[in-house]
Amino acid sequence: MTPELEEIVPRELQINTAPVASYLTRRLASYITEYAGRRKAIVGLSGGVDSAVVAYLSAKAVGSENTYLYLLPSSSTPEEDMEDAKAVVEMLRIPEKNCRLVSIDKHTTELASSLGKRQDRLTVANIKARVRMILLHGFASMLAGLVVGTGDKSEITIGYFTKFGDGGADLFPIGDLYKSQVRQIAAEAGLPERIYRKQPSPALWEGQSAESELGIDYPTLDRILYRRFDLWRDEESIAADLEVPLSKIERVVEQVRRTQHKRHPPEIFKLSFRSHGSDWRYPREWG
Amino acid sequence: MGLAQLSSRIGNVKENLKQHSEVMKKAEAEKVDLTCFPELSLPGYSLKDLAYEVADDCETALNTLARRTVDGQRVMCGFVKQDRLGLIQNSAAIMGYGKVIGTTSKFFLPTYGLFEELRYFVPGNPKTDLRIFESDKCRFGVIICEDAWHPEPIQVLARLGAEVIFCLASSPARGITKSEPAGELPIESQWLSLLRAHALMNNVFIAFVNRAGPEDEEFFWGGSAVVSPAGETLARAKKDETDWVSVDIDLDDVKRARRFSSFRDYRAEFHEVLRDL
Repeated sequence: MTPELEEIVPRELQINTAPVASYLTRRLASYITEYAGRRKAIVGLSGGVDSAVVAYLSAKAVGSENTYLYLLPSSSTPEEDMEDAKAVVEMLRIPEKNCRLVSIDKHTTELASSLGKRQDRLTVANIKARVRMILLHGFASMLAGLVVGTGDKSEITIGYFTKFGDGGADLFPIGDLYKSQVRQIAAEAGLPERIYRKQPSPALWEGQSAESELGIDYPTLDRILYRRFDLWRDEESIAADLEVPLSKIERVVEQVRRTQHKRHPPEIFKLSFRSHGSDWRYPREWG
Repeated sequence: MGLAQLSSRIGNVKENLKQHSEVMKKAEAEKVDLTCFPELSLPGYSLKDLAYEVADDCETALNTLARRTVDGQRVMCGFVKQDRLGLIQNSAAIMGYGKVIGTTSKFFLPTYGLFEELRYFVPGNPKTDLRIFESDKCRFGVIICEDAWHPEPIQVLARLGAEVIFCLASSPARGITKSEPAGELPIESQWLSLLRAHALMNNVFIAFVNRAGPEDEEFFWGGSAVVSPAGETLARAKKDETDWVSVDIDLDDVKRARRFSSFRDYRAEFHEVLRDL
């Protein structure tokens, strides 16, 4: 691994990318074709590393001809993100007819205006994510495909996603890989360097940066999450080990706790002996 | 012996029975004496509440499979057993002479991490489930997956006279790390270490028969193996996909290994200490 890559992929999180990518490809193929009985993967391509890797895995899993990539920019999407997204389309040799660019501005503006005269930034940001979800599921429905989500483990764990927006996909193939590990896969799969080195951002408003919003860089966030939740270590020892103020660790852990509801289906209040959620425990694959 | 590394469909016993029957045809054509399927091969592994609903189908399927066994052949497969209403077990059936010769049930039911077996199943009873079965050619014992993560089940079966241990498994892939050789999951190295250690300590052949393929979030990594009493790997099935592997073994290896080791030595005091802890 190059020293430049070491900077964004902490040593303890490094993986053997080839077997991991081949495992995810196999799972994606079997989920889409055998479990769901579909053939096509529908992916929203943002120009970021997560969607680039998901597009790459999808193309490997069901073939470029069955991979459909949608660029859904808004006025807050940086121009270079769309350029990077187009580079991914080209690199994966996705047929032109499988790709579409749809601006979501008019939908967002119309929906936001229905909420009243003044809307706060976060509300509009979430509308954008949900408009994208609606469009992707629309395309999936017309093509009989599945919406392949692009959430990674870092963002899922701290709840850094829009419920029923980017959180509303059929499956999350990279949901058990931290952002650093997704970057490593991107680098070793030969995706454009600009994509895996860039500052991650949902680009839901101009100049938004995930790292400044979270107050922490992704390599450090991943190292904290890995130690706290994979290795079950206490917060004090993590602070000492990473030489990060304890308050920062506590803030991350608090964010994980606060967003637990986003990682569960909506609560159903129990009344019967057999309720969905607690004691209705059938496997997803059923017969 | 033949290792039938299948990918079962959860809760679809009829479909899984077809897969078993296909393998039995191969075993018969290759004149394989001992054929083993993975843990819960007939109903699937991650059953959750379906565990309560598959016992009858399993019994019917077992009888169908057993009728297919031919002279000298022994076949082991996994099923959900319900001898008494409301008491279900994660079990293995041993078939031959056109019928089910016997069964054994899993002793150690994992309930850590992704596992929740003790929620559903009643554990096997060592006093009745540690059994030696015979074919025309050898004596063997049968255990199920987690039972290999404890020293006693294989140790007892070896001392009861087993020359071969069949371990029916459903081991899911998990753990990604750079420290392992490329392409080898930690769970795979751990299993192979376990199998070798058991084979060496108990001077037996061990046939590990794992599932392959997906089941909900889990994915079974396959990689079934036969290890000799000297700890050598005699056969390996493919990883991650279904496979069928057959291999000849030389039972004299067991005899030799037991003469040139401290196999005979057992000290009950250790278990007395353990019992009182």
